[in-house]
This record gives sequence, structure tokens and C-alpha cells, in this order.
Amino acid sequence: MPKVEKRGKERKKKAESELKNFGNEVVEHIKDAEPPRIKIPSRSTSNIVYDEANRYFVLGPRYGVRTAASMKQVKKFAQTMCVADFCKELIKDGKFATLREMYYTAEGWEAGPFGDQGESNALVEDLEAWFGLRFGLKREDLGLTPEEDGAAVYGQLVVDEDGVTIDATKAGRAGYTIPPTIDEVEFVKCKAKRVIAVETMGMYHRLVQERAWKGFDSLIVGLKGQAARATRRFLKRAHDELDLPVHLFCDGDPFGFHIAMVIISGSAKLAYINHELAVPDAQFIGVTASDIVDYKLPTDKLRELDVTRLKQLQKDPRYSGEFWQSEIKCMLELGKKAEQQAFSKYGLDHVVKEYLPAKLGLKQ
Amino acid sequence: MKILADELFKEFREHSVSEFFRKNAAMLGYTGKIRSLTTVVHEGVTNAIDAAEESNVLPTISVAIKKVDENPEHFKVIVEDNASGIPEEFISNVFGKMLAGTKLHRNMQSRGQQGIGIVGGVMFSQITSGKPTSVFTSVGTGEIVQADVMIDVDKNEGKIVNGKKLKGDWRGTRVELELKDVTYVRSRYGPFNYLRMTAIANPHAQITFTEPGGVLTVFERATDKVPSRPKLMPPHPWGIASDDLLILAKHTKSRTIASFLVAELSRVTRRKVEEIRRISGEYLFSLPRGLKQEIKQKQVSEELREIFKQHEYALTKKAEIQPIGKEWKILDGKEEYMVKRDGSHLNIYRAMNFNRKPSELTWEDSEKIVSAFRQVKFMAPPTEGLRPIGAEDIEKGMRQILKPEFVYAVTRTPKVYRGGIPFIVEASVAYGGSAGKVASAENVEAETEGLELIRFANRAPLIFDQGGCAITAAARNIDWRRYGVDISTAPLTLFVNVVSAYVPYTSAGKQSIAEEPEVYEEIRSTIMDVARELRRYLYRKIRVKERQQRAGVFEQYLPIIAKKAADLAGVEEPDVKPLLRKVAGVENAES
Repeated sequence: MPKVEKRGKERKKKAESELKNFGNEVVEHIKDAEPPRIKIPSRSTSNIVYDEANRYFVLGPRYGVRTAASMKQVKKFAQTMCVADFCKELIKDGKFATLREMYYTAEGWEAGPFGDQGESNALVEDLEAWFGLRFGLKREDLGLTPEEDGAAVYGQLVVDEDGVTIDATKAGRAGYTIPPTIDEVEFVKCKAKRVIAVETMGMYHRLVQERAWKGFDSLIVGLKGQAARATRRFLKRAHDELDLPVHLFCDGDPFGFHIAMVIISGSAKLAYINHELAVPDAQFIGVTASDIVDYKLPTDKLRELDVTRLKQLQKDPRYSGEFWQSEIKCMLELGKKAEQQAFSKYGLDHVVKEYLPAKLGLKQ
Repeated sequence: MKILADELFKEFREHSVSEFFRKNAAMLGYTGKIRSLTTVVHEGVTNAIDAAEESNVLPTISVAIKKVDENPEHFKVIVEDNASGIPEEFISNVFGKMLAGTKLHRNMQSRGQQGIGIVGGVMFSQITSGKPTSVFTSVGTGEIVQADVMIDVDKNEGKIVNGKKLKGDWRGTRVELELKDVTYVRSRYGPFNYLRMTAIANPHAQITFTEPGGVLTVFERATDKVPSRPKLMPPHPWGIASDDLLILAKHTKSRTIASFLVAELSRVTRRKVEEIRRISGEYLFSLPRGLKQEIKQKQVSEELREIFKQHEYALTKKAEIQPIGKEWKILDGKEEYMVKRDGSHLNIYRAMNFNRKPSELTWEDSEKIVSAFRQVKFMAPPTEGLRPIGAEDIEKGMRQILKPEFVYAVTRTPKVYRGGIPFIVEASVAYGGSAGKVASAENVEAETEGLELIRFANRAPLIFDQGGCAITAAARNIDWRRYGVDISTAPLTLFVNVVSAYVPYTSAGKQSIAEEPEVYEEIRSTIMDVARELRRYLYRKIRVKERQQRAGVFEQYLPIIAKKAADLAGVEEPDVKPLLRKVAGVENAES
């Protein structure tokens, strides 16, 4: 993996110069009457492999060559050039655009509009895979951002967003919202010693109310379900740059497990960028199947869908560790699942007073 | 029964051939309002082209159909040629006497299939409108003869009811026929399509056609070569129909049927006549089993005589039995009975009397003889009488009339059917232009596309009875998709001409060809020959189109790649032409 400058602004400079190199390469080819070609890492499922050492999915060695000499590819090639040029302009102007905005901008491109957004998204993913594997850059570095905001953060963290200083304890009860352009954000100060990311906003607010951020010296992150790209990037940076251990607290069901796992090991779909997103050291603290038994939590029966999903997870390489295998087995045997909020059975503050301290090893 | 048949025949004999025709108008193409008009045009045009060819000039024919009055079914048909003209004394015979022309004995592969030609038209005109046919003709001496001809139906004679002489420097013949009870339409069955097809099959002829609405169409000549005339020779028994035989019998100089058959037909010997006579006998009855011994003696026994009497055939005292091989015949004056074996049975037939005058031949006799012809082995007819149009001329004709983007024709080598009758199949395919467009549309320029099949026998268009024709069956049997053609949409005209002195027509109407296995197979193979060439053309066309598309794609996108790459690099835009030439084979990459 190429060494990557961590800071957003420098990364953009890198992206700008790589785009320029790409342009030069194509120009030289055309001058030599040689058809320009791009080697694009294959993103097909057969080329997505689990990297045991890094503990996340990566792209395999296979490439596809896109050449301007092919009648079928020349249009895509031209569109790729347009996307590259569009990105260059974004970087130059210091702007960001969403994929959807780019899709509409393409209406005016000479290489013709896209049939649907799926087509233009695929081109961006091609470019990202290519720039990711070659230069360690991702789409945000090219000026393209996801649609949605990231999660909420509450805790003793001060950030700088374009010269505006934000204290994550003074951003209201809802906390500091992670922007899609999280790479542009600088961490100024951090007193927290850990991160607790929770699946539901209900639990997030519970922890904020109970001042858990203070009690546990922790940043509380509300994931709002499956973590957005920006959230995952935030967690990655918090872990790498601020040296904070990351704890994941989700529902005790297969979907909760997987929300945690995507943060830990990344997704297959974004395999080419997992080195920028995955937090392999993040720790799933619960709700585990053993918790259901140990805490005698109120449960729901596993639905058919849950059982199917659990069986899928059993075979997934990311779950091959002893911990996960025994948890999944246990849950299948129980035939039960439990939500984070189930701890309320013992009082609203039980989770802060009893459960989390036990899990975090903070109990005297 | 017997007596009634005799009566009928007597009556038939006393009436003229013209009368016979009048009763059989339908068989001769005068059926239906559209078809009758087309038939008149056909007879006139056939006559005109034949006359020009005989005069060794390139036929220049003009046809006009005009409305006469308010009656929508009342027309005048005018056909004019540039042939040598008709000497005055022959006019009444040419136009008024059935079977008087030279055509009769030119039975070889002639265009005038019906054998009665223009006289039929004159007759039809006379029957429907009551008007004589006006003939203008000049042999080129500065004098034009105008004659109004009517047919005396009883005497089978043409009468000039009104004759005039005019001055004028012109040579040729112009015939004007007035018809009622006919309809003019521009359909597949109408005169327009008939002339269009005639023009394709006769590229040496120029045909000008004026429709009742005044629309003038010129089918231009496509070649300056007059085709060679078919060789004149007597008809072969395998190719003759009952009515042909009857017509020949009316005109022969021979005194007996036996000598008539030898004289007027080719490949017929005395021995063959005897064979024909034996086969064409009329079955009377079967002999009871116990009578075998009776037949083996010369004398006719009382018992045998009694049996004949029971079946109402009286044997005279003179009757005697003669053996022929393992069978016998009973001779009784003019009557001859044959005893034939059929397994263990003995059957009695009455032999046809071949010593009668040919003119006494009845329709039934003729049918029996023709059916006997089929069972007798004759020497095959010669192939040199066949006159195909030739692939080159067919292509010229197709190209001239249809203006297609592609045309291909093939004339195959002669083949034989029914064990010896020679025939040739020619086929051609035209793609694009106005090919396929006339088919069933009311209007020629209508958008109807798809496969149009045009059928010919000896160059003569076959317009009617398409469904029952071997050509249609063969064309339909072909899987056109294999040749890259969707016959429901492709602008395609398929031409098939079956050439033979003995075209196996399905019926006396002579509008469709019977599915003789060898003929059918040969038509199919010939169509496949031209279809293969069409496929080659269509595929080539697709490849060219693909290459153009390919070039277009690169012309569109390579410059964008060059421009965007230059923008990215911040350098001057590179020249994309050398690359364009290389990947798209675009020589002229200016655009």
C-alpha cells in the first residue's frame, strides 16, 4: 500500500497531480497514435478476497483494461475522461459534489449523458478503485462526497472545520455531526480516551443524558444503523490519529453484529478502499448472545430471516474467529435476540451503571 | 348414356370452335371482371410481342385502357405494336378465326398459352359489348388499313364489317377492343402488374401503358437483343393436354386417328399407337370365372355371346377371338374388344377405334388418349427446344423495372421430369428500390413491402391461382431467415420462370404449375441459389454498415478523450487523426 498523507488538503493536491499525470499519459498515447488504455482493478466478486493479515476485504490482483481502441469501451473511456476532468475542476475550486450532482452535470457533457445514475456511479467506483490501489486515494480526495451526513458525536473533542472551531460537547444535545467531507476536518484537541459507537440514536441519547461521555472519558458516536462512509472514516481517523480504542455497542441480533463487522472489517463492495475505512481493532462489546443469558434480557424470537442471516455470517470469513463463531452458535441455540434497550428492564441507567463498565473493564 | 354422348358430340362437331370457346370462356381466362380484362391485355400484348419478334424488330408496345362512358365496367383496350403489319387479306383470319394463326403448330414453348390468342379477346369483346374489334394495320407502304372485325360464331369466321383505307407513314398493328363487365384495378391481378411482369421477363421490349385515369407508365427496354425464336417442332405426347389434342385433330390432314397421332406428334410410331390404343380402351365388364376355356378358342361360343348380350353388347356372327401374347382380342367388324388379365380375372374392354377420322375425336376420347400417353414410354423430347430468358437478361429486366440496389439471377441447366420431359428453371432476386412493393397493393407506390413472388412459365406471367402453384410452395418452403431475410418486411422481389415445351400446369387455366417432384425440387434449389447470393449481399451490407458505425463511434469519442486529456494535463490538444485512422480505419477523418 502506498504511503498516504493523512491530511485531507495534501491528499487533494496528490489527487490533482495524479489526474494531471493521467491526462499527460493519454495525450502522449494519442500523439504516438497509440490507443490510450487504463488498467482498472476488477471489482467483480471473484476478485474480492479476505486479507487475513489486515483483517478486511481487499481487491485481488485482477485488472480489466479499458482501451479507447475498442468500439464498446471508447464511450466509457471518454466518459471516464470527463469524470476525471470534472474532479480536477472540483479540486481546483475547492468544492465538493455528490454523485447525484455529477450525474446531472453529465447531462451537459460531450460524451453524452448517462443512462442512469448506476452508470455514472460505476465509473466513479472504477476511478476510485484505480486511484485507490495505485495512489491510496479515494473519491472524497477527488472532490466527490456521499449524499448523507455521518453520525453524531458527543464528547471531549474539538475539531476545526474550515477555520471554525467546534467543541463536540457544545454542539447541542444532538452533538457534532460528522460531515461527508470528514477528511477536510482537523482534530484540534481530544481529551477522550475511547470511542463508544452505538447502533441506535435512542442509546446515543441515553448515554449523553447519563453523561457517559464524561463518566467513561469517551466519545459517544450514534451510528444511526449501518454506518455511513463518513462515520467509518471518522472512526478510522479517531483510532489511527487519536489512538483511541473503538468499542461497538449494537443490538443483539445478526444485523447488529454486521453493523459492527462492517466497521471492523469493511464491506466487500468497497474492498478497494477498506484500508481507508476499516478499523480492525474495533471491538464489539455487545449485545452478545451470552449477554442475553447472563443478564436475562427480555428477548424476541429469532425470525426465519435472522436464522438465515446468522447461518450466512457463520460462513463469512470475517466471522471466522472463535468469539464470533461461538456467539453465533449460541444465538442460534437460544433462538432469541435482544435489543440494546432491553437493559432498561433494570432501570434506565443500568446500562451506564452496570453493563458498560463491566464490558469496558472499568468496574471496581 | 351412350346415345346421349353421341348426340352431344354430334352437336359439338356441328358447332364451330368459336362456339366451343364461348362455352368454355372460363377455362380460357375469361372469368371474373378483373381477370377477363387482364386476359384481353395479355392476349393483345402477347400477339404484339410475338409479331415484333417474328418481324425481327425490338418490340415497342403501347397499351392503353380507356373508359368509354359513365359505366364503370365499360372500357376500351388499345394495343399497338411496331411489327411488320398484317396484309389486308389475312386480317379477318388473324382476328376472327379461332386457331387460324401460325401458332397452332408452333406448339413449342410459346407465350400464347391458350392457343386461341387474340381471337378470344375479340370474341369476349363481341359477347360483352356487341361491338366489332377495330384493327389498324400497315405493312409500311404508306397505306393504313382500318378494319372492324366481327366473328361469325357459327361458321368460325372473321367478318370485316367496316373497312377503310387511310394514308399514313407508319408500320405496325393497332387493335382496339371494347369490353363491358370488366373492372380496372391496380392490384396484383390487374393489367398494370401484368405488364410490369411482362416487361421484366421481356427486357428487349418497351411497353408504354396508359391507365384509365390517364397515368402514363413507361417500362423501358433494358436490352437491344431480340431473343432467338423457339424451334418449331411437333408437340411431344407427354406435354399435350386434351384440348390441345382436340384442336390438332380439327386441323390435321391425316385421315385416321392412328395416322394423325403419328403425323402430328413427335416420337409417336405405329407401334406406340397400338400401345396407346390398347391402353385407352373403355372397360366394359368382367368375365365370370368359368369362362376361361371359352376364350381360348377362335370361335365365339354361345355362352360368351350370351354374356355380352347380358351387358348389352351384341356380338355378330363374324366375331372371332385372336390371341395377343397371353391375352386376347375379339374382332367384330369395326368393333374390337380386348380381353385383359387382372390377376385371376379376365376383363373386357372396348378398344377405341383409331380408324375413324381425326375430326370425329370426342373430348372423352381425347382425355383417354392423353391419359394413355402418360403410361407409354416414348423417346424423351429434345432439350434444344428450350429457350430460357438467360440470367443476364433477367437481371437487366429486373434492374430496369425495379431499380433495386441488388439483383442476381441464375439460369440452371436443363433437368427432366416424368422420366424425360426437359425443363429449365430460372430465378432471380431483387432487393431494395421498388422491389416487393407492388405485391398486393392497390397502388404501386404503396408502402407494402415483404417478399413479392412473380411467377412465369415460358416468360408469360402467371398471375392467378398463386396458392396452388409449385413455385409458391417452393418459395414458401424455404427458411428465409437462414438467408438473413424477414420476408414480411424485406423489399424483395423473387422471380421464377419455368421453361419447358410441356409445363405441367395444374389446370386448363394454365395459371399455376403442378407439384411434379422433380420440378418442385429444381425450383426450390434454384431459389436457394439466388437466396444464397442475396445473403452474401446482405451480410456484406451489414458489415459495411458496422464499419461505418464503428468509425462514427470513434469519430465521436476520440476527440473528446483528446480534449479532456489535454485539459487535465494542461497542455495543447493532441492531433487525434493518426489514432483515428489507426483504430477506425477512417481515411478521411476531417469531420
